[in-house]
Amino acid sequence: MHLLRALPDIFRVSFAGVVAYRAEMVIWILTSTMPLIMLALWNAVVDEAPLMGFGPTEITRYFAATLLVRQLTSSWLLWELNEEIRTGSLSMKLLRPMHPLWVHAADMLAAMPTRMVVLLPMLLALVAWRPELLALPDAWALAVFLPSVFLAWLLGFLVQAAFACLAFWLEQTQGLFALWFGAWMLLSGYLAPLEMFPEAAQPLLGVLPFRGMLAAPVELLTGRATPQTALVDLGVQLGWTVVGFAVVRALWNRGLARYGAYGA
Amino acid sequence: MLEARRTVQALAALIRVSVATAMQYRSNLLFGLATALLVDAMRVAPLLLVYGQREQVAGWELPHALLVTAFFFLLFGVQAAVLEPNLGEAVQAVRSGALDLMLMKPVDAQLLVSLRKVDASSLFPVVSALLVGGVALGMTELPGPVDVLLAVALFGSGVVSLYCLWLLAICVSFWFVRVDNLRFLLWSATDAGRWPIDVFRGPVRWILTAVVPVALITSFPAQALRGAWDVELLGTSAAVSAAFLLGSRWAWRRSLAAYASASS
Repeated sequence: MHLLRALPDIFRVSFAGVVAYRAEMVIWILTSTMPLIMLALWNAVVDEAPLMGFGPTEITRYFAATLLVRQLTSSWLLWELNEEIRTGSLSMKLLRPMHPLWVHAADMLAAMPTRMVVLLPMLLALVAWRPELLALPDAWALAVFLPSVFLAWLLGFLVQAAFACLAFWLEQTQGLFALWFGAWMLLSGYLAPLEMFPEAAQPLLGVLPFRGMLAAPVELLTGRATPQTALVDLGVQLGWTVVGFAVVRALWNRGLARYGAYGA
Repeated sequence: MLEARRTVQALAALIRVSVATAMQYRSNLLFGLATALLVDAMRVAPLLLVYGQREQVAGWELPHALLVTAFFFLLFGVQAAVLEPNLGEAVQAVRSGALDLMLMKPVDAQLLVSLRKVDASSLFPVVSALLVGGVALGMTELPGPVDVLLAVALFGSGVVSLYCLWLLAICVSFWFVRVDNLRFLLWSATDAGRWPIDVFRGPVRWILTAVVPVALITSFPAQALRGAWDVELLGTSAAVSAAFLLGSRWAWRRSLAAYASASS
């Protein structure tokens, strides 16, 4: 209950922090060029002849949506929490009545409005330049998009929390996370639409957690999802969220038990 | 002449110390190598997806595109092991005033500041480059000696341009203290070097050749290895790197003139 009462204030503080470092935020957003680089490659591929229903328009729309969803779902918890565990500044935060992870979650969510302010002009410019890109998805898809993109964000947050908790035991958590991130890039639809993978890989891609972290909301936004696939995706996302919560909880409690903070 | 010899000796000594430092943490090194190889394998995967669907993309066949990727891994290694650590050191030196001491040494200050450290543990992509390059060369007929020599020269000229670009970032730090984000921007811009330059069009293609000269480092040498070089290619590479050399040297002089030390 502490949390609910404090949440608006946490949010306000976080938002002020984001506004204070707005230039930094803009640069962070500019660094996510990967979807555009991938777009160049795939555009060259589908330019000659459409592939799996992707022509130049569809592929551009796909990667524009990827750019948007990536911005809506990214967090930087791993680096912050790692630092806190390593330097021991976590001890101070543990004294507060709120769970540090919740505070971090509020922090990350507070950055969303700013991200939107930067992203929207970019997307509007894109649509002004190539109006054929704009195809509003069905109402049901838009409605499902909201929970889908939220679960995608939550999954990413939980994964980073889990890897950060490993810092209670290990020093190499960022190297381990690089491995996860490599797999994520490939299997989440960040580098290529998942339809481009061989037929045999599709069932596996559907049940792995990666699809729910990016491709599921992207497909809703680009009108490639059907009600059936959307429901399955939501179910898989929910399942992995439960697993994620359980893992983070276990790691956090055990980690704290052996956490002899430096100087604590 | 004497100064040149001294500079080389000093740089060699600095690099020896860096490598010795990395060798102290052998298990870290092994872990780093394993993760780097796995992550790089996932970086190659999109190309395999693309060429699973097409024989040719923008005039490039799989082996030649793999050569571009191999040069990209080399670029990645150089950037992570040499360019990035030195930017950090240089910014620190400007901020703390340690630059005063470097300016007094009887060697070229620019080289001393910008090439004083090598992070040997970041050189793993070189291993990936050799693996991917080896596979690529195994898939085609071997290039002739002239082609190989030209490829080496083109790669070198590209690396020089990239070094100059990072030197410009160091120069910026004389005026603005926080250039941390510039680093991320440079990284994500150079990410575009992983594909053959012909998949990019219009102004982007021009930017990747002359402004963030990644095409010079990856596509151009690969072009030479497949025997498809011409005078225009060689001329472009020479002109761009000459312009970068002159421009960055000029910027360095200007920056030093504006440097007022941290203590005064």
